[in-house]
Parts: sequence; structure tokens; C-alpha cells
Amino acid sequence: MARVVLENVVKTYGSVRAVNDVSFTVEDGEFVALVGPSGCGKTTTLNLIAGLIPISGGDIHIGDRLVNDLDPKDRDIAMVFQNYALYPNKTVFKNLAFPLQMRKMPKAEIAAKVNEAARVLDIERLLQRKPRELSGGQQQRVALGRALVRDPRAFLMDEPLSNLDAKLRVQMRTELKRFHQELGATVIYVTHDQLEAVTMADKMAVMSGGNLQQYDSPKRVFDHPVNMFVAGFVGSPAMSLIPLQLDNVAGTLSLKSEAGWSLPLSEANAAKARNTSSRNVVLGARHSTVRLHTQAQAGAIPGVTYTVEPTGDVTFVQIDLGGAIVIVSLDPNIEIRADQPVWLEFDQERIHLFDGETERALRAS
Amino acid sequence: MSATAPSRPRSRKATDWWRWSGRIYLVLLLLFTALPMFWMVLTSIKTQFAAMQYPPQWWPAEPTLENYTKLLDPRNSVGHEFLLYFWNSLKVSVLTTILGVFVAVPAAYAFSRFRFPGRTFLFFSVLLRNMFPAVVFLMPLFILMRWLGLVGSHGSLVLTYLTFGLPLSIWLLKGFFDNIPIQLEQAARIDGATRFQAFLLIVMPLSTPGIIATSIFSFIGAWNEYVYALTFLNNKDRLTLPVGIQRYFTEFATDWPGLMAATFLMSVPVVVLFLVLQKYFVKALTEGAVKH
Repeated sequence: MARVVLENVVKTYGSVRAVNDVSFTVEDGEFVALVGPSGCGKTTTLNLIAGLIPISGGDIHIGDRLVNDLDPKDRDIAMVFQNYALYPNKTVFKNLAFPLQMRKMPKAEIAAKVNEAARVLDIERLLQRKPRELSGGQQQRVALGRALVRDPRAFLMDEPLSNLDAKLRVQMRTELKRFHQELGATVIYVTHDQLEAVTMADKMAVMSGGNLQQYDSPKRVFDHPVNMFVAGFVGSPAMSLIPLQLDNVAGTLSLKSEAGWSLPLSEANAAKARNTSSRNVVLGARHSTVRLHTQAQAGAIPGVTYTVEPTGDVTFVQIDLGGAIVIVSLDPNIEIRADQPVWLEFDQERIHLFDGETERALRAS
Repeated sequence: MSATAPSRPRSRKATDWWRWSGRIYLVLLLLFTALPMFWMVLTSIKTQFAAMQYPPQWWPAEPTLENYTKLLDPRNSVGHEFLLYFWNSLKVSVLTTILGVFVAVPAAYAFSRFRFPGRTFLFFSVLLRNMFPAVVFLMPLFILMRWLGLVGSHGSLVLTYLTFGLPLSIWLLKGFFDNIPIQLEQAARIDGATRFQAFLLIVMPLSTPGIIATSIFSFIGAWNEYVYALTFLNNKDRLTLPVGIQRYFTEFATDWPGLMAATFLMSVPVVVLFLVLQKYFVKALTEGAVKH
């Protein structure tokens, strides 16, 4: 296993920059998720690391080698594809043996390695079958087996779970995580599902429009999103973002809404707000940090419930605060209905403030 | 319920009617294509006298294989010529087929996988040959072959047949390659294969049906071609079967059973080819064209 370093990596197609100046380091044994919406450049970045497409600028190191101009076969990596890419005319055994044959390993050794991988993944009974005779979950295991049958420097995975049904996906997620823990493998994992990234990864690289937005642990990304894109992308349901105006009344900073209400800022938040030259500030609040009252309350902001979505464990309520929608999670035993007047109380310790112009998070210093 | 019930038998009757008229149509079509061949085989086992009788003798009274033994015996002059022409045809057709695969497969792969300037233009100009009747190219190609010093050689025919067969082969094979997910090659390259190995070990085996289908097409095209063979070949010993049979026809104008036997023998390779490779051929036509 090895560490993987990207330095100012660029990929252009004509005048389009599909990957724009991306830099991050995946430490040896780390599980990193590349996450973002469709077309954000995450798969392109993975293909650049694999060497499947030529790099336009910057450097990629795998271990201590600069791999910019190396063929995929010489990079010593393994990859799991979204559609599994199993060789349809070969049996499972031959699929698993292929990477070893290509490395001219002796036959007896190949058989031993393939059988060991099959045992680990519990696919021994399937070795003589063709891929089309397997279920989706079994195909997924074979694809994984083909990656781990040799000891590559890093595993690259391109949405490996997205073709599975919901139940199997959760099960395989657990297995993948355990597999990573046991092998101590370096894994770079592409997904559009932020939940997969948050649950499995040591670090996540959030991408949008070819740019790396934030690279940090899932907890740090969740608690301290650097900008409005990351704030809205990570977490489900998404963080509520409310565009407001900064108002200074006799030295006290508060956020004013067009609907008429205003929220006086705590000392810590006021310090953040002083760091922006813009008057437009966006308030961000996660559903679990907002308290809902059914009676008027001093300092609470009046609104009207819009929709009520019970999920069983928790009930999500969307509240209209005069144009902006805020999502709040409630205990399912609390009785609430649509179009009911409510009052919201924001936790000043846990709200996020963003510059309305640059969309960047406001920091204290 | 009461409104739909009476209409049901009528609609069933209607589908029956369609089904039966379809069957009758197919039977007529079968008779139309099969009867001449049937008649060919029957005539080939008749004696010269029986073949010329009027009213016709539908079933030969004294069937004979004499016509065939004569053709297949190299010791008499008729058999010697026939076997020589057969060999010439086989040589030209097999060479055309093999060279065709070697040119069409890389071309189709390049059109399918690579993005290069002029790709679309080139891909459609491949079809240009097929937009004109073959005869239009007869004189230009003849002049070209004379300039190349190839007139009278089998090489001139192989080159010509190649250009006629390639457009279809390239288009058909490109469809095949398009349907093979690119991730298979990417996986192979990551697993340690070079680009060429990935093509050879992964893509080629998966496109076997397409390669076989295009091979059959170019083989048949070359095997049956007449006009160019008649124009380019001037030496009696180099003639291919379609031209050779025609010579035989004029020299022995009245020997119908002999001619029919030769024609039958000429159709044998194509029929055998079809029977052996039919499985792949059907697969190519159904799988290659349809997107998954």
C-alpha cells in the first residue's frame, strides 16, 4: 500500500476545465471519498489517477513514483467499476486470475491466490460460473475479488455500490468498510451519495464544477463546511440556507429578514459577521439544531408549517419563514400539521454564517 | 363487459386471418426462392436427353451422378478446368476475407473508440463507394490496375473486392465495438494489459460473431462476383468460377445437366459456410445492431 498525492492536477477538454487545479494527499491506508454531484469532475479525477485518460497539468504520485506518463498497467493499482466490468466470456475463476496472468505469475500460485480471494469474499461456489449467471451482489463481489487478488498500491472505486438495491447497498457498505479496516488498504472511492462518503471515509473530498471545495474528515466537513455548496451538499436533509441582511442598530449586529423579523447575533457570531464587507449574509442551520415551539416565545421567529414528512424515527417539518424554507426534525410523537403557526429558535452555538456574495463561510478571526 | 364480450371472437378471427395470410405469403416466398435451386439439383442428375425432353420430365427417370464425376475428375479436360476455376475462386475469396478482417477490425475499432479530427467525415466517406453502381468504377479501376501492372492477376480482384466489402464490414463491426463497454478495456489495462492486449484478449473474443458475419459477407461477395472478374482476367487459367462457368456454358451450350452440376457445386461452399457459422450470424444480426 502507498500514499497517493495529487498536486495542482488539471484536465481540460478543449476549453472546458473538467478538473481544475486539484490537490490533495491520500495517506497510506486511508479511505478517501471523492464526492459531488454529477459532472463535478470526481470520476475524471479517479480516471486521471488510474491513468485511463492523459493528464493536462500538475503531478500525480503513487508511493514514491511520479506516474503522470505511466500506463495504467504500470501504476500498480486496482479498480472496481460501477458496472463491474467483469469479462463476460470468462468464468469467475478466470476473471480473478486475469490480473495475475498478466503479471506472469506461475499457475499454481495463481490458483492459490484466486482461491484465497474467493474464500474471503465467500464466492468459492461461483468460481466456474460466467458473470451473466450471477446476481448483482455476486457480480459486485467478483469485481471486488479481482481488485484484491493481488496487492496493489491503491484501490480505486468508481461508484461500486450504486447498481445494487438499497438493502444490499447498506450491507456491502459495511463489508467494504470492514475490508478496508482489515487490509489497511489505501482506497479512493468515488460516489455521488454523500451518506456513503460520510459513513465509510476517513476523509472526504467534496468537488463541484471541477474544483475541490473541501478536503477534510467527514465530521469536520459536516461541522465546518467552508462554503454554501458544501453546507448544502453534505447532510440529509440538506442544511437550510436563509438569505438575510446584516443590520447594525446602535452597535448590536443582527440579521434582518425581508419578512420583517430579525435575529440579534451572539457575541461570537457578531465577530464573524464583522469580517465581511458584504451586507448580505446567509444563515445556515441543520435540521437538528433548530428548536420548534408551538406557542409564541421571546426571541423565537414566527413561521408557518409548510409540509410534514413523518419517516418513522423522526418527523421532518418544513417551515416557511416569510419566503425562506427551514427544515426541522421533531420527535414523531409531537402532533403537528401543515399550515400551523410555529416559532423557531436557532442555536447560536451551532448556526453557520456565509457571505452572501462569495458564498464562503464566515470565520471568527 | 357486455360491450367488449361480443367483439372478442371477431378480433381473434382477425388475428387468425393475418396469421394465415402471413404463412401463405412465406410459403410463396419459399417456393419462389427454392424452386429454381430444386430444379437445378434435379436437372444436374438427369441425362442430357432427359433434360431436353418436352413436355419436361419432372422427376428424372434414370438419375445419374455422371455429371458430377466428370466435373470432379481432374483427368478429363472439363473436370481439370472446373477444379482449377474452383481453386482460383477459393483463393481470391479467402484472401479477400482474411485481408478484409485485418483492415476492417482496426478501422472499426478506431472509429468506435478514438476521437480524432475528421472522424465523422471519414466514417461517412467510407460509404461513398456504396452510393454508386459498381459498374461505374469498372473503367477507372481497370486503368488503375493496368498502371499498377496487376491486370490479369488475382491481386487485382482481391483489391477490388476489398474496397467493395469494407464499408459494410467497418460499419457492422463499429456497431459491435460500440456495444462493448469501454470499462472492460479499462479494467484489462488496469489489470496489467497493454492497450493492444486489452483489444486482443478482451474485445476481440467478444466481437467474434461480428467478425464472422462480416467475413461471410465479404466471402460471398467475392465468391459470386462476375463483371470485374470478366474484365480484369485475360488468362484462361486464372478465371474464377462465375466467369469460368459462363465460358463452359457457351462452349457446351446444350449441356444443361453439366452446367447445373457445376452451379450446384459452386453453391456448396457458401451453404456449408452458412450452416457451420449460422449460430454466429444470427447472433451478429440480433445483438450487434441492437443497443442494450
